[in-house]
Amino acid sequence: MSNVHVPEEILASVRRDLRPVRPFASPGRRALALLPLGLALLVAVPAFWGWRENLTVLGTMGAWGLSALQTLAGLLVVGAALREAIPGRELSARAILGTAGAALALFVGLTLVTNHVVPFVIPPRVFRRWIWECYWIAALSGLPPLAAIAWLASRALPNRPAVAGFLYGLGAGLMADAGIRLFCRVSTPSHVLLAHGGAILSLGLAGALVAMLVERVRAGRSQGIG
Amino acid sequence: MIAYQAGELAAFERLYAVLATDLRRYLAAAAREDGSAVQDLVQETFLEVHRSRRTYLPPLPVRPWLFGIARNVLGRHRRKAWRRARHEDRGIEAADEQTWSTAPARSLAVEPRDIEDALRRLPAGRRDAWLLHHVHGLSFQQIAERFRIGVGAAKLRSSRAMKTLRATLGIEPGGRDE
Repeated sequence: MSNVHVPEEILASVRRDLRPVRPFASPGRRALALLPLGLALLVAVPAFWGWRENLTVLGTMGAWGLSALQTLAGLLVVGAALREAIPGRELSARAILGTAGAALALFVGLTLVTNHVVPFVIPPRVFRRWIWECYWIAALSGLPPLAAIAWLASRALPNRPAVAGFLYGLGAGLMADAGIRLFCRVSTPSHVLLAHGGAILSLGLAGALVAMLVERVRAGRSQGIG
Repeated sequence: MIAYQAGELAAFERLYAVLATDLRRYLAAAAREDGSAVQDLVQETFLEVHRSRRTYLPPLPVRPWLFGIARNVLGRHRRKAWRRARHEDRGIEAADEQTWSTAPARSLAVEPRDIEDALRRLPAGRRDAWLLHHVHGLSFQQIAERFRIGVGAAKLRSSRAMKTLRATLGIEPGGRDE
């Protein structure tokens, strides 16, 4: 061992707060802890906004099965975000693009499958209005999980807050939209991709902004302490 | 690290002893700062290590985690330095404009030969930036493009030249001649 001694001011700071701490659980386990939240969204969102009229036509697998799959995909993305937030465990660019790309590809795939099972024709006069309405419903439904996950991630120390925030926003959006799928009867891809996909991406951007803001506040606070 | 998370001070001291030298070397290379600034960064890193000790996940290696925190501290330091430089640039520009606007009055008291001598003694880069801005009226953007440097660097050269000239000619910033 080298002969380096801790400067007195650091030692004093450490001594002041040396209570034992329990290390975080692994990012995967922390993401799994959000499973009840995901399942709650799956039920609460359509229960609040109303169940889609053609739910029975979609069948159990097409409705609940695919929505559960989307919830799991959202949790996986959140797990990636929580890992990104741990110092020294940052994801590679390929892993980030792969995770986000796979999640969005799954969303597009589910949209196409749903449209294949229960095709729906939107009356042209309401096309834009429904996009607008669904966008806001999906975005608002994603805010509670976004807040919960942002809090979890902010307890770590992300080196790239924008990346971690974008990923957890995306995950929150996917989890909320899994419930929206059971509310919105429109399966037309243009509607789903623009309204629901737009909301998911917006939540990703909101997550990035929140994470950067949190990091900024934390940086200011630590300078005040240090 | 596990003992440190359990609240053992000696474990923190051991961690410091093992990693501080490497950390200092890393920060010195990454930050390109002088010795005292690097020491500050090392200290700030260890304080952040202490604040964020929960984020270490045993049994993963400690080094990547600690250097990850160092990158975070370095990032904050750079953002702060960038904000400070931008703030100073604005101040420099304002001060330069103020000094130049009162220059005709001062020139009555300062011999042209003294100004020439003072200018000649300036490093070429600073002198050129100052002359191009204050005499030829080029913007800092134009000077930066001409010398292929950043706008901030152009402002800094001009400002340092102005500071040296003031000191050499005995002029108080924005005020009266001595």
